Amino acid sequence: MLRNIGLAALTAAIFGIGTTAHAVDCPVKLGAILPVSGPMGQVGERIAETGLFAVEQFNEAGGVKGCPVEYVLRDTQGQSAVGVDAAKSLVDLDGVQALIGAVSSGVSLPVLTSVVVPSKVVQVSCCSSSESFTALAEEGKTEGYWFRTYATNRSQSAMGAKLVIDSGFERTAVIYVNTDFGVGLANRFEQDIAKLGGSITSMVAYNESQQSYRAEVTKALEGNPDSLFLVAFPVDGSTITREWLALGGTDNLIVNNSLRSDDYFAAVGSQYLQNLQGYDSAQPRLPSVASFNEMFEARFDSPPNGPGLHSVYDAVTVVLLAMEASEEITGDNIRDNIRLVTSPDGVEVHPGPEGIARAKELLAEGQTIRYVGATGALSFDRNGDVQAPKMTWKLDGDVNVETSYLTTAEVAELLGMLDE
Amino acid sequence: MILQHIADGILSGAIVSLGAIGLSFTMKLLRFANFSHSELLTWGAYSALVFLAFFLSFGGFLDGTIGPFSFGPALLLAMLCSCAATSVIAILLHRFVFDRLSRAAGQMTMVFASFGVALILRHLVQLIWGSDPIYYSNELQFAVLLPGNVRVMPDQVFLLVLTMFVVAALHLFMTRSRTGIAMRGVSENPDLARVSGINVDRIITCVWIIGASGAALGGVLYGTTVQLRPELGFGLILPLFAAAILGGAGSLYGAVLGGLIVGLSENLSVMIIPTTYKPAVPFLLIVAILYFRPQGIFGERSR
Repeated sequence: MLRNIGLAALTAAIFGIGTTAHAVDCPVKLGAILPVSGPMGQVGERIAETGLFAVEQFNEAGGVKGCPVEYVLRDTQGQSAVGVDAAKSLVDLDGVQALIGAVSSGVSLPVLTSVVVPSKVVQVSCCSSSESFTALAEEGKTEGYWFRTYATNRSQSAMGAKLVIDSGFERTAVIYVNTDFGVGLANRFEQDIAKLGGSITSMVAYNESQQSYRAEVTKALEGNPDSLFLVAFPVDGSTITREWLALGGTDNLIVNNSLRSDDYFAAVGSQYLQNLQGYDSAQPRLPSVASFNEMFEARFDSPPNGPGLHSVYDAVTVVLLAMEASEEITGDNIRDNIRLVTSPDGVEVHPGPEGIARAKELLAEGQTIRYVGATGALSFDRNGDVQAPKMTWKLDGDVNVETSYLTTAEVAELLGMLDE
Repeated sequence: MILQHIADGILSGAIVSLGAIGLSFTMKLLRFANFSHSELLTWGAYSALVFLAFFLSFGGFLDGTIGPFSFGPALLLAMLCSCAATSVIAILLHRFVFDRLSRAAGQMTMVFASFGVALILRHLVQLIWGSDPIYYSNELQFAVLLPGNVRVMPDQVFLLVLTMFVVAALHLFMTRSRTGIAMRGVSENPDLARVSGINVDRIITCVWIIGASGAALGGVLYGTTVQLRPELGFGLILPLFAAAILGGAGSLYGAVLGGLIVGLSENLSVMIIPTTYKPAVPFLLIVAILYFRPQGIFGERSR
């Protein structure tokens, strides 16, 4: 393998002499910083595998500019210090020009400000939804190097509040993870629920990776709430839910999208979660999404259920397409060309090896394209944010079923009303 | 709500007590702070998992649950086997690491070695059983409502009763049996004990068995009320040390009382400070006790 790559590089070098063409070293490296261990390990591992799957598909279509793409994955353990070190080593030692990740906003943010922007490389997160990034981009501090294929918190708290009100709950307790993500979401939720006419009995933050959350749960039970809004990740989330139910808490649970995970349902026991409701980003009803789902099932023998899978696939694919469109693979070129490959008036291309091959042809002809992928048509606004349709779900027996679907326009309308 | 916090505090304190007894004894007898002690709780909990699967495979009366508890005879048997297995681990660690080091190396070396041992033990658990949480039983146990609007889980009441039973048994052992009295002698002055004809090595083995068994019990019972994770023991390290230091090294009742104080103060603290600062409470306790009464509540002032 190594020899082949070496040979390919040598050939490329020889043929490269005398031509003005692209200065591309094979293999092209793509960095990924994801939490494959730690409290988000269960979620992170699947995201990392899906990212690799996107790279494999791109390589099947011939790679970037004839070069195979190497997916260099580093574990963040869900910790900002580890994540920053990982990003720094990827940029400085491996020379990557683009990073995928991280998952938590608390990790993505220091990576963005202390590694990505100073080094002028591109960061595309699959999963960070904190509003801090939007604010940072508004101030011009991201210099355009920041993108995400995942909609912001803003709509998450609105969806949570909408579920509570639509279900007729009046006194809601909130337990949330003490991270940028959790605090941001919980505070917005408090505002949104007040606007919609509900009330909060208590706001309880919890620290990750503790063995027991009895004290937190007991505190949240004060004021006799008729519903609980839980913002957590599966491992700690199942401990909290078990203790909450065991100590007599209501089973009217509203949970954030990270808990839409079979690990969580199994750990708590789905028989206790029959009044659980949640929301998630939805995939638009588009053929490109269906074809991604099929390819994913063929590869992993299970449907792509779980947070971040569709969005990491698109994050990887968009970056690789932008590299393909670049004369020379630099952070600046990738940043500018991400706009070029998601241009609203470009020729539409779809995920999968054929779609990517088609996209490469079009780019070679000098056309602009519009990548419509696993999360639908990506359109990054000037802050690098995307909007997404939303869905609500519940459990029916062991099966996770969809209860409603909100289009991007309907989500925007809800937000407009809340932000008035 | 204050009653509920007190109940929670006592019940979670009982687990800390069980773990702290062993830590306190080894601290006094072997004269070093064993940071790997908390990993014995983890090993106790996980090895019970293996024995549990073994006993459940027989089916019959072993399967099923006893009364209001979430576990049956199989887990009780597994718990006993796990005490034995954890004791073996502790004795092996003593033979191959701590005993060898204590002959030549200083106290700090022992402390660092125990850090290393803790890392190895924790990651071995992760290697063997994986990092995903595991449950002895996927059934969820609902709390029983007691007078005063206090909710407790039957498993935790069992845990509290068992802790009291263990403490009573240990008290009798330490005051009535020859080995127990010899143990106290060794902890006071090993050299003097040796010249009086006490087999010090045998006593030390005995201490490890008591400490490891307490840890295993604590680990298994913690596993029944929460969940099994490789970080189970690691998460308890601060409360364990706080309890042992608070009670005074080597004191049985000190360790028990220390555990209860730690549990209570953690749970009561959330009434006045934000929940996110709760993990700092044991740390504050350590600082406070070292400042005001460094020998601990029941400890004797050393010369």
